[in-house]
Amino acid sequence: MAFPCVRLCSRHMSIGLQVCGYATLSKAPRPSPRPQEKSDTGPVFQYVGQHRKPNHKVFVWGFSFTGALGIPSFVVPDSGRKKPRKYQLTPYRLDTAEQISSAACGYGFTLIASSTKDTSKLWGMGLNKDSQLGFQRSQHSRLKGYEYVLEPSPVALPLAEPLQTKVVQVACGRAHSLVLTDQEGVFSMGNNAYGQCGRRIVEDEVYRCVLIQIFQFHFFHTSLMCFHDLLLFLTEKGKVFACGWGADGQTGLGHHNVSPSPVEVGGDLAGVEVQQISTYGDCSLAVSRDGHLYGWGNSEYLQLSSVTEATQINSPRRLPLKGCGKIVQAACGGTQVAVLNEKGEVFVWGYGILGKGPKLSESATPEMIPSTLFGRSEFNPSVAVTRIRCGLNHFAAVTDQGELFVWGKNVRGCLGIGKRDDQYFPWRVTVPGQVVDVACGVDHMVALAKSLL
Amino acid sequence: MTTPAIRMFRGLEGLFCVYKPSGVHWKLVRDTIETNLLKGLNATPPQPLPQEVRLLAHPVSETEAPKGLTLSAVSVAVLSKHPLVTGPEFQHIKVGVGHRLDAPSSGVLVLAVGNGNRALNGLTTYTTRVTRDYTLEGEFGTATDDFSHTGRVVERSTYGHITQDKLDRVLAMLQGVNQKALLLYSNVDMRSQEAYEMAAQGLLGPGGKSTPILTGLRCIRFQPPNFTLEVQCLNETQKYLRKVVHEIGLELRSTAMCKGVRRTRDGAFTLQDALTHHHWTASDVKQAIRQYHSSKKKRKETHTKIKDPALQLPEETAGKKTETYNEAAAKGGIK
Repeated sequence: MAFPCVRLCSRHMSIGLQVCGYATLSKAPRPSPRPQEKSDTGPVFQYVGQHRKPNHKVFVWGFSFTGALGIPSFVVPDSGRKKPRKYQLTPYRLDTAEQISSAACGYGFTLIASSTKDTSKLWGMGLNKDSQLGFQRSQHSRLKGYEYVLEPSPVALPLAEPLQTKVVQVACGRAHSLVLTDQEGVFSMGNNAYGQCGRRIVEDEVYRCVLIQIFQFHFFHTSLMCFHDLLLFLTEKGKVFACGWGADGQTGLGHHNVSPSPVEVGGDLAGVEVQQISTYGDCSLAVSRDGHLYGWGNSEYLQLSSVTEATQINSPRRLPLKGCGKIVQAACGGTQVAVLNEKGEVFVWGYGILGKGPKLSESATPEMIPSTLFGRSEFNPSVAVTRIRCGLNHFAAVTDQGELFVWGKNVRGCLGIGKRDDQYFPWRVTVPGQVVDVACGVDHMVALAKSLL
Repeated sequence: MTTPAIRMFRGLEGLFCVYKPSGVHWKLVRDTIETNLLKGLNATPPQPLPQEVRLLAHPVSETEAPKGLTLSAVSVAVLSKHPLVTGPEFQHIKVGVGHRLDAPSSGVLVLAVGNGNRALNGLTTYTTRVTRDYTLEGEFGTATDDFSHTGRVVERSTYGHITQDKLDRVLAMLQGVNQKALLLYSNVDMRSQEAYEMAAQGLLGPGGKSTPILTGLRCIRFQPPNFTLEVQCLNETQKYLRKVVHEIGLELRSTAMCKGVRRTRDGAFTLQDALTHHHWTASDVKQAIRQYHSSKKKRKETHTKIKDPALQLPEETAGKKTETYNEAAAKGGIK
């Protein structure tokens, strides 16, 4: 152990008074530098064992006043001195009881689900005026529910076997949400004015009531997607079903009416095995197993202009995309579209901030975003994007290195880059950990991450 | 009148690099080089002494009359120009050092002689994006107070849980952080088209002073507890690099210390061009400077030829490590 030497400055020290002016600390004269002796006595600390598994965490950011971020102290501060935090501009950790495997963001609300077999597997936070988070009984009266839920609160699902069923996926729309379980089908809750919950439309239905309006579909599905006022299912066999608002043809059922119960979508998709569906707002896309892209719905922003000049298609058509290769994932935004091919390259088109600088605000043909913007360099020649998601006006991409890139319109801080400016090309979001999945909403985002070690 | 020594000095003006061994202060290296160059310059054969006609008086004997001095013209060597009187022709020469290396580190050290110091100014005042390559030797299991193996041990910890995969994940995370820092410190408005174009080509970088930024980081050897990293960085100090090794140990929930820092490249100068201790003589230095001048000419030619196609490439050219000083300042640097 080296002892610090304290040298008193002799000028200031007087013999009568024992006052020292200043003291300087210097290292004890060490022996000349030599390699460390391995036989040093001293404890060896072990911080981490051989079989340590990474921790899973959830991060949220964006507009917090609806309670969608799940942190009550942003809306109602703990102490009187603090001010409410309206916009959370950088990722903030959300403490959850269980490890979250699936998350979805709606318009001012969030649903997170865990794949446990415990009784509480689903939590919701945010706006609940249309019971999109189920019925959250308030403390004051048994008959009234909370309109704004500020903390992740369990959503009670009427499961037949609550200790056996697991929640596989959650999806949120404008004012409705869906939950996919592995054994008991799909549950829907929330606003059903256009049939988007898959049940019969009731005129002037009141959603803020005692009973949870839940409807159960007894199909076995692999994934579901619902946004705005539409609901799309994808079955294991690759068939697509749609129900809900169809004024722009986004149901793909060949008409522009509302469809209250799920009907299989035909058109060019008949007989095609679909592996992924995506929709937001009024346009829908489907990716088939052999790498082709099919689209239907709104095309006012040139999303489907490769097959049509009209502003809407109400039946799926195959989109011939030149130079994109085999498509693996597609993501639809409000006015823009992005696809990911098997090499990990991202192509964007549509209208809005597309990600290639402020000058490119509209494109009818796919434009590739250079991989150097996602971190490819001389030292990292093989960085590829593995997941791509769209919010209403922004994009998010997750690379195989676990980094999250966002770009687009920064609505109330939803990008999470620390500032409220719009971002015209992909920008890294600093998330402590490796990002596994991300969910984009209108003005907030949720990221599921795991620690490095 | 140019003497052979002055001609030799003109041939010596320029930039060259030396291999600085570890354990030696950089100033000693610079002083040794200066002494050796002076020795070489002053060893050139001296000029013949100029002759002068002087009127010297004959030695007169005391018996003769003092009147009538008889003078005769004699051609005599000018003693005031004798090297023993004036001293050696060169007593000081300006030898400047580029980016310094601290005593425990070793590697390429760029030096400049005479007029070459002007090129050095452009190198050291952060106007161009000149990067340097280092090789860092690290060892897991110990943490010291100055992050190197000669410091006082602060803590020891286990490292059995560390695998190459975990190390790569930590290095990827550090690279991501540094790439973001590159964008943040560049003085370009992020909302402009210019920012997007420069970012797409990988040209965005700090124009002036900034914190040390690692533009590239990878592990080239992993044999626990030892590991070797290759780093490419900007505006760094060797102590910062040792701190990076220490922080990598912390991220891996263990400890690490740096056993050696070795600079393998500084701008365009690589280990191949570096002169070792036995070659710190005037003639070897002259040859190295001549090589530098000729390669600079070649780089200028290739630079003007590929300048236009290079700017249109969406992705950066891999493996292009050549860097110029003055040209890069004018054209914004190509990595």
